[in-house]
Amino acid sequence: MMKRGFIMSALLMLSSASYAAMPPQAALCGSCHGPQGQGVEPLGPRLAGLPSDYIVKQIKLFQSGKRQNSTMQPMAMTLQGDAIVAVAEYFSAFDVPMVTPHLRGEKAVYSDPTEQLVYQGDWQRVIPACVTCHGPSGHGIGEFPRLAGQQASYIKSQLLAWQKDTRSGDQDGVMDTIADKLTSAEVDALAKYFSELK
Amino acid sequence: MKLHHLSWLVISLFFSIGFSVVVQAEELPDKQAELNAKVKQDGQLYLTPAPLSTIPEGEFGDKVRLGYQLFVNSQQMRDAYVGNNLNCSNCHMDAGRRANAAPLWAAYFAYPAYRKKNDKVNSFEERLQGCFTYSMNGKPPASANKELVALSAYSYWLGMSGLMQQAGIDSAVPELSDSELLKGGKRDEIPLPESIKNAMTLEQRASLPGKGYPKIAKPAQAYSPERGKKVYVAHCQSCHGDDGQGYETSGVYSLPPLWGPQSFNWGAGMHRVNTAAYFVYENMPFGKSYQLSNQDAWDVAAFINAQERPQDPRFEGDIKALKEKYHKHQGYYGSSVNGHKELGSKAYPINPKRSD
Repeated sequence: MMKRGFIMSALLMLSSASYAAMPPQAALCGSCHGPQGQGVEPLGPRLAGLPSDYIVKQIKLFQSGKRQNSTMQPMAMTLQGDAIVAVAEYFSAFDVPMVTPHLRGEKAVYSDPTEQLVYQGDWQRVIPACVTCHGPSGHGIGEFPRLAGQQASYIKSQLLAWQKDTRSGDQDGVMDTIADKLTSAEVDALAKYFSELK
Repeated sequence: MKLHHLSWLVISLFFSIGFSVVVQAEELPDKQAELNAKVKQDGQLYLTPAPLSTIPEGEFGDKVRLGYQLFVNSQQMRDAYVGNNLNCSNCHMDAGRRANAAPLWAAYFAYPAYRKKNDKVNSFEERLQGCFTYSMNGKPPASANKELVALSAYSYWLGMSGLMQQAGIDSAVPELSDSELLKGGKRDEIPLPESIKNAMTLEQRASLPGKGYPKIAKPAQAYSPERGKKVYVAHCQSCHGDDGQGYETSGVYSLPPLWGPQSFNWGAGMHRVNTAAYFVYENMPFGKSYQLSNQDAWDVAAFINAQERPQDPRFEGDIKALKEKYHKHQGYYGSSVNGHKELGSKAYPINPKRSD
């Protein structure tokens, strides 16, 4: 893990000076996600700054049909072999705007119920704090995507996809179970909250 | 009766004075001794501590809030009192509020408690110091310092607000002095509303439902680290990493390391296979989207605890002697399993600095 963290930060440092050349297979992705993975709402979510492990896993989930999306399923099939990792690392390495992390414990009391859900969860309903897995301010790590600065429409569509079971493939259904407990007002509020962390 | 006790005391003092008393005073006491875990009861009602938003303004409330903040971000104390990458809230779910996840509200009313192991009555403060020494692989704050007061205040406030809610009392939690807070709640002198006193005895308050981690039945087959590895890969690895070292984002290990130099040490309660199995069965995977079988919980607890971790702080150069003295329980200290040499022989340093 230490090694992976090191490689990732090394990549980030490299990327701020000059980005890696685009692998040929990434060109197609770029048409909806933006050539630097910056995202093109509503065509494609931002890929820049997502953990590469996460992107790799999602491509495979589209291929297997565990993640259902009529556009992304055929697109994902165009990526095979080494191209999956190459594309994932390419988009992952692009810089995203810095978000100063809000650490748990900075506040004991949150007057905004959405912030409370994000940083403390709601254990009466066995909903853990989002930041436990997604990291401080939803920065993302490993198999857990970055939420900070992602498009609100995309976050919302994904929470709804978990609820409708058109998205699956998470370890032991952790996210599926949490998403199922969220009210539609909470889905809207969480999508807005994370998208505005820029 | 009294006379009998007195003569026993005189006799034992006669034998121990000047020898074991002195030795014991210098030794680190065993403050992570095994609790008498209880099986979870169906339909059990648990104490519900008040929401944090109702912590009062003022000096006392500030201590309670600080306690919460230290509990969920224990890394504020890194290098001072904490020597690993853990936060208290890693093992105490919902910041010490959740039943069956070693809630602070139940622990607070169980101290002061007599411990056979060091033959002494331990205050709540001393129990907290034990957490720093073992679970946090650090150096405990000195008696009565502000961190210990704050953690005691937070624990007390959770427990007392829960008891008051249960008794239907709608008023502020009585404020206690620092020295009172540090002692713990299992005392006749602690100020309690009459209806709470009448509803439960001191002993009942000291073993509130939901305390600690609930005991589970022994596994059908003897637990096995080899089988546990498969369970780990299938259910734990995505959060804790293929090397068990957790994941760090923005400097925070909210997905904590389970073994290795940055986890709890060989003296922590969680290194016991049964304690870890109870914890895992009840509380993992995080958010309870999946229930491990009894056998899988034992096996994965065995796998996690058959890995090297920081040394037991009571180690004085002889693993066998330490094993004999403090490790007569379900643990792997001093054993050779899973391809490891004698576990403990390659243990990591106690209380390393973050920069080490």
